[in-house]
Amino acid sequence: MRTTLRSGLTTVVALSLAALFLFLLGCPAETAEETVTRDTLTIAIGAEPESLDPVNMTSAPAATVGEHVIERLIYMETDGSLVPMLAESWSANADSTVWTFNIRQGVEFHDGEPLNAEAVAINLRRFVDPDVGAAYAFLLGSVQEITAVGEYELELRLAQPFAPILSHLSHSFIGIVSPAQLEGLSPSDAIEIPVGTGPYVMNAWNRGESITMSVNDNYWGNTPQIENLVFNFIPEASARIVALETGEADAIMAVPPQDADRLDANPDIDVVYETSVRTIYISFNNVREPFTDRRVRLAMNHAIDKQAIVDGLFGGNAFVADAPVTSAVFGHTAVGPYEFDPDLARELLAEAGFADGLDVTIHHPTGRYPLDATVAEAVQDMLADVGVNATLETMEWSSYLAFTAQPPESAEYEMFMLGWGTVTLDSDYGLFALLHTQQWNPNGNNRGFYSNERVDELLSAARVETDPATREEMYAEAIQLIWDDAPWIFLYNEGQINASRSDVGGLIHHPLENLSAWDAFFID
Amino acid sequence: MYQYIARRLLLTVPVVFGVAVIVFSIVRFLPGDPARAIAGVQATPEFIEQVRVRYALDEPLHVQFGLFLQGVARGDLGRSTFTRRPVTTEIAERFPRTLLLASVSLAIATVLGVGAGIVSATRRNSLFDNASMFIALVGVAAPVFWLALMLQLLFAVQLRWLPATGMGSWRHVVLPAVTLGSASAALMARITRSSMLEVLRLDFITTARAKGLTERVIIYKHALKNALIPVVTVLGLQFGILLGGAVLTETVFAWPGVGRLLVDAILRRDYPVVQGTVMLLALLFVLINLVVDVIYAYLDPRIHYQGGGEE
Amino acid sequence: MSTATATDATQVEQKRKKTSEFREVLKHVVRNRAAVAGLAIIGFFLIVAIFAPYIATHSPTQTSLVSRLQTPSAEHLLGTDELGRDLFSRMVFGSRISLNIGLISTLIGVVVGVPIGAVSGFYGGKLDIITQRFIDIMIAFPGILLAIVVVTVLGVGVQNVMIATGIASVPVYARLVRGSVLAAKEQSYVAAARAAGLGDISIIFKHILPNCLAPIIVQSTFQIATAILWAAGLGFLGLGAQAPTPEWGAILSNGRAYIRVAHHLTTYPGLAILFMVLGFNLVGDGLRDALDPKTR
Repeated sequence: MRTTLRSGLTTVVALSLAALFLFLLGCPAETAEETVTRDTLTIAIGAEPESLDPVNMTSAPAATVGEHVIERLIYMETDGSLVPMLAESWSANADSTVWTFNIRQGVEFHDGEPLNAEAVAINLRRFVDPDVGAAYAFLLGSVQEITAVGEYELELRLAQPFAPILSHLSHSFIGIVSPAQLEGLSPSDAIEIPVGTGPYVMNAWNRGESITMSVNDNYWGNTPQIENLVFNFIPEASARIVALETGEADAIMAVPPQDADRLDANPDIDVVYETSVRTIYISFNNVREPFTDRRVRLAMNHAIDKQAIVDGLFGGNAFVADAPVTSAVFGHTAVGPYEFDPDLARELLAEAGFADGLDVTIHHPTGRYPLDATVAEAVQDMLADVGVNATLETMEWSSYLAFTAQPPESAEYEMFMLGWGTVTLDSDYGLFALLHTQQWNPNGNNRGFYSNERVDELLSAARVETDPATREEMYAEAIQLIWDDAPWIFLYNEGQINASRSDVGGLIHHPLENLSAWDAFFID
Repeated sequence: MYQYIARRLLLTVPVVFGVAVIVFSIVRFLPGDPARAIAGVQATPEFIEQVRVRYALDEPLHVQFGLFLQGVARGDLGRSTFTRRPVTTEIAERFPRTLLLASVSLAIATVLGVGAGIVSATRRNSLFDNASMFIALVGVAAPVFWLALMLQLLFAVQLRWLPATGMGSWRHVVLPAVTLGSASAALMARITRSSMLEVLRLDFITTARAKGLTERVIIYKHALKNALIPVVTVLGLQFGILLGGAVLTETVFAWPGVGRLLVDAILRRDYPVVQGTVMLLALLFVLINLVVDVIYAYLDPRIHYQGGGEE
Repeated sequence: MSTATATDATQVEQKRKKTSEFREVLKHVVRNRAAVAGLAIIGFFLIVAIFAPYIATHSPTQTSLVSRLQTPSAEHLLGTDELGRDLFSRMVFGSRISLNIGLISTLIGVVVGVPIGAVSGFYGGKLDIITQRFIDIMIAFPGILLAIVVVTVLGVGVQNVMIATGIASVPVYARLVRGSVLAAKEQSYVAAARAAGLGDISIIFKHILPNCLAPIIVQSTFQIATAILWAAGLGFLGLGAQAPTPEWGAILSNGRAYIRVAHHLTTYPGLAILFMVLGFNLVGDGLRDALDPKTR
């Protein structure tokens, strides 16, 4: 077992091998070869859906894939407007507690079962069944009773008026599958391959690899042009990019910002920048000294150069937050951002009695959101410039959630970083859950203990108000008040980058991080 | 011999029980609240409570452990909190892929390692010997995930000879198998070489030489058979280590096996899957060790069966 | 990965400890050029680690968003990372972390594993059987898996990585020492010590363990290498050192996202780990050969 380096020769060999290796690394990549099959569109996504059973879906990849197979009552366009899907029309009684939906007639599931009100009712009841325990059951939390009142007439009774019900019903997770598939299914069992009414029929799920589907010739809407659709799961971003460059994939999702420019320079590839619905913020513990002092909260908002974070870390593919919800959300009004002004920040801190600086602790997650720890480090740096000496603490995600879920009397945190996706695209979900006094830990997700009487009033009223224009006014006022109170350091809204081959048209990039291919076509 | 095997089997019972205790503890001794971790950040308090009940996290520990053991005995490892599918199904789908990867790696490692070891031993101190032993040293020292990235960068991204990740054709297997097998190949080359050198010094080889047998016959007919006994042992152990080591390789190459399943599950806090995969890998390793010990006892007459097998 | 060499180390014949013996070993190590190369590598990293603040050209944690992802230059010898931190300085400070993890986790393994093995081997009987089953359970987790399990429970961070890799190495020492003690127990000097009225504890620590030192030292050298590799692996999986700690595995893991635009972030940390591990393995090989009379 003795290994001696007898001659320098071996070293020379090893070094030249290493040199050759480094040389090859530096070589430009070969040109991409064209291997596009014209009847199949291949989309590479970063994560495999956890499930395509409506009650088990929790992620954007699941929604993206699922949408092609299963449909819901109402569709939300990329601009947030609600249009008929499986419900042709809908109406509410005078106080908006009883909603009636006219289900589209002549629609068949992929297994030939007819779509009717009862089929929808079965699905919705399953969605809210506590024994099934759907993670997103809260979307229909206001619904008390689901009844098929006619062959094609569905009635939903609410406990009290709930204005966002329509946008909640448009959520991609509330998909309708064939009742034949649900028959005899125990509450804990899940559907593997959903049978829906969508433009594509799902053929196979090769776990860990891909999902394949083919066109639904019996589709009630416009039949897609492309015969086959394949979703490949390629977790590694660099591998997804190679797949797109070689033509192995026609479109890819989640392009890292640092690769976007290089891809965009490729004439065969189009890069698409889209907003998302997730806001990243650092909340103060608003009931703890010195964060009870508005000047301190304002100072920290002015101390952070949000634009530098967005440009420097996200390569421009994020948006400086101008409100507590993103611009794609109904009710959003741009009221910010707080100007980056370190002098003003120092002044405010001095006024608050911290002329000599201030020690704070910021808790942040690692690896939960893109570049989360990196952003926390950047914030730490910027705060140091105005005399705020921030200590960063990171924790395991589960501990982190528990740590930031303490009631006010036992909450040990001063500042913490979190993100929130307003997945209903309605301000109610973005503001009520995070900033209403009723939602203080441990009752909800107001982990920073923000409280403003007028804001509470507005958010409660906007929940039951049915006139969209009035709701928008209410949210505008609430957002302005919240912004002025500065309960968070408002940071940025995440963006998303997708890319596709230039010869593919008609892809829909949705702010909800969905990529839809039913209108896609190949350009010759 | 049968008595020896029976004794060894009996000895694995407490080991299996101990593994079950450790696997069970993974979730229960976690910092923080597992129910909250499973439910997620946007969960309502009611949903967190539902989760707590569904996973019996509200029961006392010994009751939970009883439920866990009952489940294991029935082949029920619970459901993934992420996909909500039975953990056994998840594992059953991915395990054959890990097995494939580990087998190909082992094959590569054996052919390269044993081959290089034999040649090195017979041409001691030649350029080949020095070069291959140097490469073997580097092979053992190189972090497997780094090697994976470098091979990927070179052969998939720059040269475009092989696919970077995923599985499908035989071309997908090459890079991960070479990566995973490199350390084993290096180790086997070194062990084969030293074992071979030791045997070549023994009396019967000298006798064979004296009888005028050709060097080729001496090496391949007489020496090799004896020299390979320790190699076979290492080979078996390496197979188990490869199964476990696949965690890093599978992650880099997005190879959808149990290793990646485990890492994904840890990062998603999908604890039932963490428990299941750890349990499976540990049990397999125990089983492989058992088989290796039996084979070793069979091959090497010097082992006395009444021994505990821990020699 | 070098755990398989543990069995070889057990074969090292027990020798009485004398100064001349030590000189003899040293002579052999020095004569072995590979071992000298290994010593040189370790020495290099030790110097870098000790004098890190003087060698580093920048702060290892100072970010600068305008100068991110720069390729190596005169200003930044190994380029900059995704936050504009100087990679060279981060790697210099990272050598401290890797060496620390290697040494401390090995120490944990020795401190916990050696007494377990010694007591188990010395007393035998039920105690031995029970300990052996515990060791069997720990050994049931192949390779890095036990470390992963421990870190999953303890949580991430450098300290927990040390504990995890330390615990994972306990069974190696327990087995090694038990084997040596079993052999030593039969030696005449133990009977002599017992006749002189010495207690068990002092027999174990004063007479038996010193005679088992050689295999422990050899194993520890390899164990440091293994611990460094495992810690880097954990860091790579995101289960090790956390930002902004400049641990090599973690640097490599972060750099992976930028492999197409800045491959220096993956290449150099990997090479550093490789060389450090190589250094300890070479010295381990040299020590083993020197301590083994058969190959002298």
